[in-house]
Amino acid sequence: MTSFQSTLGEDEGIAEELAKGQREISIAEFFEKNKHMLGFDSGARGLVTAVKEAVDNALDATEEAGIQPDIYVEISEVRDYYRLVIEDNGPGITKEQVPKVFGKLLYGSRFHAREQSRGQQGIGISAAVLYSQLTSGKPAKITSRTQGSADAEYFELVIDTDKNEPEIRTSKTTSWDRPHGTRIELEMEANMRARQQLHDYILHTAVVNPHARFELREPGLDEPMKFERATDQLPEQTSEIRPHPHGVELGTLLKMLAATESYSVSGFLQEEFTRVGAKTSSKVIDAFRDRHFGREMTWKTPATHESDELVAVVEDAIANKGKGPTAAFAEELVDIVVGKDRIAHEELEQIVGNVAESVGAETDTSFGDTVQANVVEALWPVLTEDREGDIYSLVDEVTTTKKSDAGKVSISRSIATQFAETTGPADRATHDDVDEFVTWAAERTKERQDETYGETARENIVDALWSRMRTVSDDVPKVRDIADDRDVARDLLEGMRETDILAPPTDCLSPITAELVEEGLKKEFDADFYAAATRDAEVHGGDPFIVEAGIAYGGELKSEGSIDLLRFANRVPLVYQQGACTITHVVKDIGWRNYGLDQPGGSGMPNGPAVLMVHVASTNVPFTSESKDALADVPAIQDEVELAIREAARDLKSYLSKRRSLQKRRKKQDVLGRILPQMATKLSEVTGREEPNIEGALARIMNNVSVDRDVDDGKVTLTVKNYSSTNEAPDITDIVSAEPSGLNGDATVVDLDGEWFVKWSPEVSAGESATLTYSVAQDASFDINVDGVETEKLTVNA
Amino acid sequence: MASESKTSEEIARERLIDLAAEFYDQFDRGEIPEMKLPTRTKSNIEYDEDSHVWVYGDRTSTRSANSVRGARKLLKAAYTIEFLARQLDEDRSSTLRELYYLSESWDAEEAHFSDQDESNQLVEDLEIVSKVTREDFHMRPEESGATLMGPLQIREQTRRGERKIHCQGDVGEGGYQIPNNPDTIEFLDHDIDFVMCVETGGMRDRLIENGFDEEYNALIVHLKGQPARATRRITKRLHDELDLPVVVFTDGDPWSYRIFGSVAYGSIKSAHLSEYLATPEARFVGIQPQDIVDYDLPTDPLADSDINALQSELDDPRFMTDYWEEQIELQLDIGKKAEQQALAARGLDFVTDEYLPTRLDEMGVI
Repeated sequence: MTSFQSTLGEDEGIAEELAKGQREISIAEFFEKNKHMLGFDSGARGLVTAVKEAVDNALDATEEAGIQPDIYVEISEVRDYYRLVIEDNGPGITKEQVPKVFGKLLYGSRFHAREQSRGQQGIGISAAVLYSQLTSGKPAKITSRTQGSADAEYFELVIDTDKNEPEIRTSKTTSWDRPHGTRIELEMEANMRARQQLHDYILHTAVVNPHARFELREPGLDEPMKFERATDQLPEQTSEIRPHPHGVELGTLLKMLAATESYSVSGFLQEEFTRVGAKTSSKVIDAFRDRHFGREMTWKTPATHESDELVAVVEDAIANKGKGPTAAFAEELVDIVVGKDRIAHEELEQIVGNVAESVGAETDTSFGDTVQANVVEALWPVLTEDREGDIYSLVDEVTTTKKSDAGKVSISRSIATQFAETTGPADRATHDDVDEFVTWAAERTKERQDETYGETARENIVDALWSRMRTVSDDVPKVRDIADDRDVARDLLEGMRETDILAPPTDCLSPITAELVEEGLKKEFDADFYAAATRDAEVHGGDPFIVEAGIAYGGELKSEGSIDLLRFANRVPLVYQQGACTITHVVKDIGWRNYGLDQPGGSGMPNGPAVLMVHVASTNVPFTSESKDALADVPAIQDEVELAIREAARDLKSYLSKRRSLQKRRKKQDVLGRILPQMATKLSEVTGREEPNIEGALARIMNNVSVDRDVDDGKVTLTVKNYSSTNEAPDITDIVSAEPSGLNGDATVVDLDGEWFVKWSPEVSAGESATLTYSVAQDASFDINVDGVETEKLTVNA
Repeated sequence: MASESKTSEEIARERLIDLAAEFYDQFDRGEIPEMKLPTRTKSNIEYDEDSHVWVYGDRTSTRSANSVRGARKLLKAAYTIEFLARQLDEDRSSTLRELYYLSESWDAEEAHFSDQDESNQLVEDLEIVSKVTREDFHMRPEESGATLMGPLQIREQTRRGERKIHCQGDVGEGGYQIPNNPDTIEFLDHDIDFVMCVETGGMRDRLIENGFDEEYNALIVHLKGQPARATRRITKRLHDELDLPVVVFTDGDPWSYRIFGSVAYGSIKSAHLSEYLATPEARFVGIQPQDIVDYDLPTDPLADSDINALQSELDDPRFMTDYWEEQIELQLDIGKKAEQQALAARGLDFVTDEYLPTRLDEMGVI
């Protein structure tokens, strides 16, 4: 720059010279140079991204049409290129739309909508088309058949990268065996080095879309990979919503103010935002008034015995209205004022106005505006005579007893001075003003009394003052005035943010739901334990979002190395840039040892046989880049991700700790099961008696439920003893080879081909026992089965 | 004598089998087998006004099959009971160490002892529960090698017949070695004025070399550090049967006070046998912390472990007397300890010519 400037005087044509080189860049051309931003940075990656874009579109299209998705992906080698075919059973695309959808970047219906969908910018599939044409020179081949139409439309098209417009090479009708759907065929320079990511993408997509069916064929597979449907339940249809007041930024607000057809702020708020009705809008407007106009301080009204004096003041202020009416006016007014606890300037004006009307009517006298103003002007100084004393009592109330009285008097006096001298006649101040008053007063007190009012003490005083101040009723500016004034708009924005407003409706979101998250994990991972959690919706930048987490543990999952983390945004798996993703950051920051997972060093990715999946659904997912690989570190989202994971992890923890305690119990039972019989044998040797029965002792030690059988001359006694500390309800089935008779209690007998099933489900309280007796022929044999009690807690001796 | 010992063997055997039967019955009733024992810590020993010794208090701990640890202990107990019962049946004996090694031959691996402390402790447990002494189980400790030297004639019942021995005239300079079961000794005749128990070998040898035993008609008992049961038992018998005063001469440090404590009051580990082993009338000669000050003896500074031991003695009911509190406080104050042999700083004869005569005179022993 400096070099140009130094030569400016000599060569005036330089700007024109430069201008010759400046021209509009077509968006297609721009992305041609920035392929990496869209996930097409390498041949390996490009293939995965192309599949991803096409599958995402297919899923969105089918779901929108209420069709259970059936998606077919095929990759094959064709000479030097790879051919990619993706077919869906969606509603199809009309003949007019096909070229635009596939042949024009940034064409889409979703960019402007606040609604959860997989694609957002409308670049994905057209970028794939572009990538294919740039690497292979071949046009994209698209077949689409809409429901009910007899034929399918077939196109071959390329993108004109200068104009960002589709260029149709071939267009004809053709026949297709699918009744409806879309098929896209792309040829591109690529390789299969990212095979793992491709498989992951399809697998993960199957996990979060349990309602969809997928089939993948690629050269490295002997058999096609098939993922079957686990549920018939389609995701909830989403609907579009207006922005939420907590989520907009100043620039957006200004744009909305400029564009709205509303005239009043109240109308604007209710029309343009979600969750704002009359009540909320008046709350927002009050909060705006507090910021824009400030509040008015209320002061303690004089005691009743000072009424006479006040009446005199009022009477003096009224001229030429006759003695009777003047006295009536003054007395009525003073009565009302004294009857109030505290009063603000505006309130006084209102009261004066009311009294003027009522007394005026009674006495047939007109107390006009001038009279009213005179009265207020005369009365207000009297009412605010003792600001210092009033503030002192507030300060005294909220400061600790440790503060000296002299200090309190000093700070109160300084605050009172501020109100008297800087707020105009109405004692009106914003929160910031009050803050300044108190800070200034505290400094003076430090100087004069050498007493420090720290931050907390000052805050308490500010809060006490602010709570005594009243929101004013001044008219708020009109929408068009706010739209022109950044500062006023900022006050409005702050008012919106300060006000408690219901979270945005979530019908714009379609979470998978905890139940289906678990279902999806169960479908694709063979584990021992599954848990899932879906959080309530939260808001970020006016966009609601929902976070869900699921965990699968144990079973066939690999136990060495770190756990597998599956990240999803709006049901789309994120397979690249795991390290840059906020989900990964959150997972690494959680202390997994608390949840029973190994975590070397106490932070970072935990180890163990587990799969953790996190799904963030939002009307606007904040990605770190256009390629949509990683979620940005947005605090509101991070918090929810953490809470969702912790919720699911808590279930894992209790599962693991239960498993560990059962393992310990099993181990103890194993050891005792070895030691106690040896001891019994030894004892019988020493005492010369028969070996004692140790089952009772063992069951008691293990706090178990024991089931014993005693057969005496055809009389069978089953005894259930509960040595545990909780109630137990075992289901006992005794299979007897001969017909039992004389059953007591509530047992039932079922005859099944010469075997009798005696079913008995006693409720046994802690420390109690239950018995069942029946008679049976001498040579009967028994086979007992006990359910409803964990194996580890059961001692069967029958 | 023979019939008497047989009776005690029979009683011992019976009691062991009763104990096994109790475990058996507990099993049979569906209860968890357990064995209750007095808690063996210093907080659970109390002074018995009648016998003037320290015995276990009321607090008990339970070895129960409820836990794997407890079950292992009881399994070992069952095996040990069987072993002891058979040993008594066959009239044989064994040492504690042999029991530890013998457990290796038991078929149940869980019953093997992991170290000798464990087997020793179990034998003590069985002593307490069955109220039979180890000696009556025919369990011997390894020879401690403690000796007697002085004007005493005894008859010892050895496995090779009776021996009549004079503990001055019939023995070499090493003295008469106390057998494992001193109840096999009969006192025949003596000329003893007092019994002096000496902690270290060096001091014992000094006293003999200087002819202290002859000059003062003293029976010198060599304790060899923490005295074995046999040493304490014979000391008690000398006191009780021959009505002799007993004094204890040790180093001047906290560990040595415990040696005196176990002679006089009984040890915490074997408080169940205090009546049988402790000599409550035994008195402490020195080295007292006061002597360190009075004689300006060469000293070592107290180590941290010494200080802890002294502090813990202040909480030990056996040492809660004015004398001990005063001495221990003094020692903590000066922060020093001294060995018996530190007296040699004043010459080799100082101990026999000056220190002991003065101390014993003060104590009214001579």
